[in-house]
Amino acid sequence: MTTDTLTAGRITGPARGALKFRLDRWFGHAVLIALAFLCLFPVYWMIVTSLRPANEILEGSLWPSNASLDNYRYALGAIPVRAMLINTTVISVAVTAIQLVTGLLAAFAFVRWRFAGDKIIYALMVLTWLVPLQVVMIPNYLLVAKLGLLASIIALILPHFASALAVMLLVQAMRSFPREVMEAARMDGASNWRLLWEIMVPNMRGTIASLAILVFISTWNEYFWPLLLSRTPENSVVQIGIQMFMTAEGTQWGPLMAASTMASLPILILYLVLQRQVVQSFLQSGLK
Amino acid sequence: MTSTFTPSAAPRLARRGIARLAPWLFLLPAALTFVVWVYWPLLDAFRLSFYEWNMLPRSEPRFVGMENYANIFELSKFSQALKNTVIYIVGLLPIAVLIPLAIAIYTQDLPERSRNIYRAIIFVPMIIAPVVAAAVWRWLLDPSYGLVNNWLGALGFEPVRFLFDADTAIWTIIFITGWKLIGFSTLILSAANANINPSLIEAARMDGASNWQIIRDIRLPLLSSTILFLTMITILLGAQWSFAYIVVLTQGGPLGSTTNIFHILWDFGFSSLSVGWSSAAAIILVLGFGALAFVLLRLVDRYSFHDN
Repeated sequence: MTTDTLTAGRITGPARGALKFRLDRWFGHAVLIALAFLCLFPVYWMIVTSLRPANEILEGSLWPSNASLDNYRYALGAIPVRAMLINTTVISVAVTAIQLVTGLLAAFAFVRWRFAGDKIIYALMVLTWLVPLQVVMIPNYLLVAKLGLLASIIALILPHFASALAVMLLVQAMRSFPREVMEAARMDGASNWRLLWEIMVPNMRGTIASLAILVFISTWNEYFWPLLLSRTPENSVVQIGIQMFMTAEGTQWGPLMAASTMASLPILILYLVLQRQVVQSFLQSGLK
Repeated sequence: MTSTFTPSAAPRLARRGIARLAPWLFLLPAALTFVVWVYWPLLDAFRLSFYEWNMLPRSEPRFVGMENYANIFELSKFSQALKNTVIYIVGLLPIAVLIPLAIAIYTQDLPERSRNIYRAIIFVPMIIAPVVAAAVWRWLLDPSYGLVNNWLGALGFEPVRFLFDADTAIWTIIFITGWKLIGFSTLILSAANANINPSLIEAARMDGASNWQIIRDIRLPLLSSTILFLTMITILLGAQWSFAYIVVLTQGGPLGSTTNIFHILWDFGFSSLSVGWSSAAAIILVLGFGALAFVLLRLVDRYSFHDN
């Protein structure tokens, strides 16, 4: 670059810069609007289709001319959606609570003490994140069968008693907990148990809430493990229910979209209410 | 303190014993879960990979040595699954890393408020269940009634059999997998991009650096650890993410064109009921991805060090 072009650039700089800036911004909006459309439209289309009466299901209009809840009535009659939603809720809440407790206990051990093999054990816990369920599915399935739990929803909870993500995020959060506070509590004679539950946990509400959201959503959306174990619709989760409308003989689009909407609604409502927090918790899990 | 007299020594020793046990007690619930549901099953899969067994109640596992490994490598289905696994990963990288990177850099100057709205919207696919995403895209892409083919028809194109054509099906599954991810990657890269100190950019601009030079010499190096992280999780988990779409939408077909290593494990195990084959494939998967993870983690280590 010569000095000539530099000075030339500097003279016309402000005017050209402003125009360029506006164009850039316009272009940025265009890109993001296209992406937002791509991301949101399928969800919108799911809801719209679910509201179309059976004879208008193939219509391409953006809003149904005669909105009706027929598809919902049909779906509720065809499969036990209510029981499935209750099962899914029970499982998601239980898994979230249990993973938080086991994660907090384990993280506390790693942060509070140094002991033989602590680093290796931590690494082994984190590495479970890289072991896909497909690899261990047969032994896991055989174990559940041996316990006689194949048809019960307890089997859907058991393998999720602890997760690498919970241990990792909580260890990171506890490491940044001020050491002086921990020391002071110990000087006051607080037991480890009290130190964890009465001093550290109340100060980690943000991290715990984020983690709870992450675990809840991923358990709600889980598909593979329930697919392996589901025997009867009544003991199954809602993700398996959706699949029942897609058969080899054909797909019932209206009820399928109604069931999909019902399965997504709790999560979408959670997202509407806690939008910032949800995005934040996913970002945290990714950034660390 | 010197006033330790004998009577209290015994309880103190006991207390010290408990103190030494304490960390292990706190670790126990999590550790037990991982041993029972991950590490023991991993060993068991290794053992089962040397047996022939169909899981039926009255049959006994029969030791066959390395036969399962030899057999699955001769199956064209298996080599196709390995090949497709690579296609899935390579196909996902642009959607999970490159496009989000471009978007993150291009949209950095937008005002805070509109950025937050976009952010909220492009995040929606991330929280949608894979089964729901599969159902909705199956509907949108249906060859006869789907909206996408309606639009294509209106533009004068022949209908595309997205999920039923052996040439397009794998790309359709990659697209759906990417649809779920793109918002997440974009947000992570935008957040990292926004963390770059603006005075660095300002200083470069004062020195007459062009936009492209700023991106190449300042932004990309400072984003390298985030880019590497996203690349790493895409390589390690990308093929796994597409599993639900394969099972719900194509069952590996048409003609095996969409199967991958994760799906073939499922297929061997619960469709063909061949525990040995499934376990042998599982061990190959673990060794392959384990080696990959080792290399990638070392790379990430080096780069994040350089970043600090």
